Amino acid sequence: MTERISGYQRFKMTNPIIQFFKFIYLSIKIMFIVAGGHGGTRKAV
Amino acid sequence: MSKIVILGAGISGHVAASHLRRKLSKNHKVVVVSPNSNYQWIPSNIWVGIGRMKSEKILFPLAPLYKKKGIGFKQAKAISFFPEGDKHEHKPYVLSEFVVGDKKGQQEKVTYDYLINATGPKLNFEGTEGLIPGKNKAYSVCTYTHADHAWEALNALIQDMKKGKKAKILIGTGHAKSTCQGAAFEYILNVEHELHRHNVRDMAEITWIANEYKLGDFGMDGMLLSYGSMTMKSNELVEMIFEDRGIKWITGAAVNKIEEGIAHYENLDGEYKTESYDFAMLIPSFSGHGFKAYDKNENDITEKLFKGFMIVDADYTQKPYEEWSVKDWPETYQNPNYKNIFAPGIAFAPPHSISKPRISKNGTDITPAPPRTGMPSGITAKLVAENIIDSIKNGKESLHNKGSMGNMGAACIASAGFGIMKGSGVSITTFPIVPDYEKYPKTQGRHLGKTFGDIGLAGHWLKLALHYAFIYKAKMRPFWWLIPE
Ligand SMILES: Cc1cc2nc3c(=O)[nH]c(=O)nc-3n(C[C@H](O)[C@H](O)[C@H](O)COP(=O)(O)OP(=O)(O)OC[C@H]3O[C@@H](n4cnc5c(N)ncnc54)[C@H](O)[C@@H]3O)c2cc1C
Repeated sequence: MTERISGYQRFKMTNPIIQFFKFIYLSIKIMFIVAGGHGGTRKAV
Repeated sequence: MSKIVILGAGISGHVAASHLRRKLSKNHKVVVVSPNSNYQWIPSNIWVGIGRMKSEKILFPLAPLYKKKGIGFKQAKAISFFPEGDKHEHKPYVLSEFVVGDKKGQQEKVTYDYLINATGPKLNFEGTEGLIPGKNKAYSVCTYTHADHAWEALNALIQDMKKGKKAKILIGTGHAKSTCQGAAFEYILNVEHELHRHNVRDMAEITWIANEYKLGDFGMDGMLLSYGSMTMKSNELVEMIFEDRGIKWITGAAVNKIEEGIAHYENLDGEYKTESYDFAMLIPSFSGHGFKAYDKNENDITEKLFKGFMIVDADYTQKPYEEWSVKDWPETYQNPNYKNIFAPGIAFAPPHSISKPRISKNGTDITPAPPRTGMPSGITAKLVAENIIDSIKNGKESLHNKGSMGNMGAACIASAGFGIMKGSGVSITTFPIVPDYEKYPKTQGRHLGKTFGDIGLAGHWLKLALHYAFIYKAKMRPFWWLIPE
């Protein structure tokens, strides 16, 4: 096992308060990306 | 009056049925033909497979819901397609066979005006010798019954480890052309997390085995993504996670045979190797269901409808990887030969893989098949339903709603460990799913702001929130349609 994630990073990943705000941020961002529209890729002929 | 028949009640079939029913008046019939009695939210099978969620929590019976909502339901499986009808039946129909009740074994010609084939994949365990869920110490989490069995076996192994047994766990893909690496990725991280919780992590050697050329390929040719303030490759992200958790990996591996506790595989260097294990979870290859199709004179016209999966408006011309274009991917999921037939979700035949094809020194094609996850399955089903609704309402064909996987985003919220306070998740989004090298030439075909990765507890909460939201939506509870696909 090689510690690739530092103690500080791990603290940020597991701290519930930081993660609560992350949750709100990610929910909005993901909604924006996924529900933000889709369409074709070919030009109409 | 129009009759719309939907084959399959998985994510895409159910999404299509519910939108059609909501938007079409009761003069029009919506009929679902599917062999499964329950709807299952497949992504949560991961947690069933580690014993942290009961399978009852991820499923509900379809018949009462469909009855209440006015959706016809036949618990039957489609066998063959007659898109022109036959000598006795002038309407197009699907020959279906009932799988339960008094009518079990009986066949019926289910006629339609519009047909949505949402039969997803056949889990092709037969494609790998000896890969049978629950046999040879190898398991699957592709259905809730498979996941229940996987947990029984894993739990037994955990109990043995508590008594001092050292164990080897192997998780990944079970065929040269498997897809759904994301599901196996989630499962390996969840298993690793659970072993810690049971205080037996140091008793186990955990290994990832996959047909991906590099870690983090996910059947999507990998991706360049933003991670915090950095830009990194998906293989670097997954490598970091695996190293940090002490998970070993074998990539470019085509598992071709399973024996009791032994996986045989060939790698891209053409070497034939084995890996032993005490517990394995290997995703099989996905194939079409082997449906046949006939014209009105009962001549075989299967090649007009199927190429393994169903033929849609993709460009199936064979061309080298360098010439692949995002435009090859379908936009409306309409069969070009029979315009009242559509195939959203996994049921459509992709034009080619997304990952670069790779051949071993012995000539074996070891290339992940393209994934079609829950979100694109739902989005493509909804757009098919909307085009049918518009066509019915306008009295002429309408194909305004388009959604190519080359112009659509997807989120893969991979659970990395269950627990309200101790859980973790790896959230990855990509836009577009199929890289568009013309639009985003400098960022490996993807929009960097919309293609990102994140690790942390919030990811677990997100996955859990999606579980509840999508089951609420699938149960068609008040305002269900406000929840996006
Ligand atoms: C373990 C696992 C975890 C996953 N996790 C995620 C995730 O976290 N996020 C995500 O986005 N995606 C995830 N996926 C992928 C997701 O589940 C699929 O993309 C999705 O289920 C595809 O939907 P579908 O409707 O096309 O096919 P399916 O859901 O497979 O549905 C097919 C339907 O067709 C029916 N059918 C089969 N044969 C016939 C027949 N002959 N006649 C009539 N009906 C038939 C089946 O009974 C079923 O109801 C996961 C998949 C697996 C296996």
